[in-house]
Amino acid sequence: MARSSGTILEARELSLRFGAVDALRNVSIQVGAGMIHALIGPNGAGKSSLLNCLSGFYKPWSGSVVFEGQDISALRPSQRAQAGIARTFQGIQTYPGMTARENILSGFHGKMSGGVFAALFRWPAVIRQEEEFTARAEEIIDFLELEEHRHMVVGEMPYGLRKRVDLGRALALEPKILVMDEPMAGMSPEEKAILARYIIDIRDNFEIPVVLVEHDMEVVMDISDQVTVLEFGAVIADGPPAQVRADPRVIAAYLGGPPPLDASAPGVSA
Amino acid sequence: MRPTGLWFDRYNAESRVLETRRSRVAGLLLLACLAALPFTVGPWLLGELTFLFITLIAVYGLCVTVGMAGQINIAQSAFVGVGAFATAKLSGMGVPFWLCIPAAALITGAVSVLFALPAIRVRGFYLALTTLAAQVMFPIIIMALPMAWLGGLVGMPVVAPRLAGVNLGTTTGLYYLALVLVLFCTWAVFNIPRTRFGRALRAVHDNDTAADVMGIPVARIKIEAFFAGALFAGVAGALTAYSLQFVTATNFTLFASVWYLGMLIVGGLHSPLGAILGVLFITLLQEGLHTIGNMALQTGGAGGTIFALNSVVLALCILLALIFEPRGLAHLWTTTMTAFRLWPFPRT
Repeated sequence: MARSSGTILEARELSLRFGAVDALRNVSIQVGAGMIHALIGPNGAGKSSLLNCLSGFYKPWSGSVVFEGQDISALRPSQRAQAGIARTFQGIQTYPGMTARENILSGFHGKMSGGVFAALFRWPAVIRQEEEFTARAEEIIDFLELEEHRHMVVGEMPYGLRKRVDLGRALALEPKILVMDEPMAGMSPEEKAILARYIIDIRDNFEIPVVLVEHDMEVVMDISDQVTVLEFGAVIADGPPAQVRADPRVIAAYLGGPPPLDASAPGVSA
Repeated sequence: MRPTGLWFDRYNAESRVLETRRSRVAGLLLLACLAALPFTVGPWLLGELTFLFITLIAVYGLCVTVGMAGQINIAQSAFVGVGAFATAKLSGMGVPFWLCIPAAALITGAVSVLFALPAIRVRGFYLALTTLAAQVMFPIIIMALPMAWLGGLVGMPVVAPRLAGVNLGTTTGLYYLALVLVLFCTWAVFNIPRTRFGRALRAVHDNDTAADVMGIPVARIKIEAFFAGALFAGVAGALTAYSLQFVTATNFTLFASVWYLGMLIVGGLHSPLGAILGVLFITLLQEGLHTIGNMALQTGGAGGTIFALNSVVLALCILLALIFEPRGLAHLWTTTMTAFRLWPFPRT
């Protein structure tokens, strides 16, 4: 379902190593505009490491991350967020002490202005800005159907709702790309279906490409436009879901069995 | 607290602290009572209230640094001291009080930034230790500096505040000065959570990893949290200086810093309401003990023992608060009010 071939985010030959473990070996991926790009692979394949390199948590040993033609390898996570890479987390990483709307509003931090003194004196311009951004937060609340829960403290919410608030906060960054780490882990099938619909809507309505790590094969094959398969820190397949599903190496990686013997196969230390 | 059936047509109306006409009228009545107090009560109570207001302002500052941003600070009393010495110095140079107070706040803020720098790297116990160092260093530095600068071992006199020829250094004058400033600080501290900066503080408190990825500059916000908290300490320090009329480094002890923290914990860390309730509760308790102690002394009882129990009672309060209501009196207040609002339906 790709509508544009332009590459938004690109990882170029990333390598990362924790002690003796090669988390990533020369991994390259390209995320195109308007794509839902899934990263899959067995446990420990390096999916989350790759995601963390993209959002700036890990510094790769070699290689670079290119965003809209710019090398952003040196930027810190908050700077990458300002540049337009939003990210949601594995598990719950919302702000539990704040309400759903405050969580979403906090995502506008980079777009709003005003520091300590604006906060202390809350002069009319500050109030006007608050109202303007509250209205924008309400649009996101509307999209994610969180109206009933907007004033609920997030720490008291059920899991599925918290993940939706997390997504809303990422959308408040008005990102150019959304990176999601296992958005559906621990969800019921109903919650998964709801979230999958939002992810497709984000691609179609907001025209934001999505990179996601996911274990649920059914979801991945249903919603993705592009799938990259990792095993032992290396890319073993990359392509549309149907093609990846038929790849013998992917089947071997998931079902076990001898890895195909060819030169590019993982297992040989880089 | 919000009654049922109250609707808003503007987002700002929704974020008001006093939401209904009734609560605003109640606020005005309280204000009128406080303003009329000097005409009805004696100087002892007035002095006590002035002291309570000063304490409240200092605890507001802690509420910002510790409560909202989650950066532990056990040097608030030293920061109050910085504000007091700044005021003493400036008032001695002939600066009028209405300039001295904001200047003291800003100077204290600037000093706090210096001690906030470790917060970028360390957290929890280690941050507690570095702020403890600030508290311990404060009197040593004041005493080690040349006598002509900040009075050294002796201390510094403070020139009384004057407004249009009227001496505000009297008990009544100081009461009104403290009342105006405590109102102003209350307004300011309630403003913070409803702004971009306030949300950033709480984001850093709740989850600084996520805050970083969401574009919030965590290190900067931590420093600003100390800065904002120290502004309040500076105002409290200026008022302390004016009411003591003579400041020495030993006025601002670690003991006071711990009391400030204790008040905040008992009241509830997470909202300025907690600061108000905590300060009121602990101060009333202290005064109660004091009265009982005096009575015991007069009847020949063990008054000294009762005075000494002061710290034991604080410790007990903190322990009980942490065990039974870690969210403090403020949370108790909120849940009670919600129960009233929803009555006869149970709280969901």
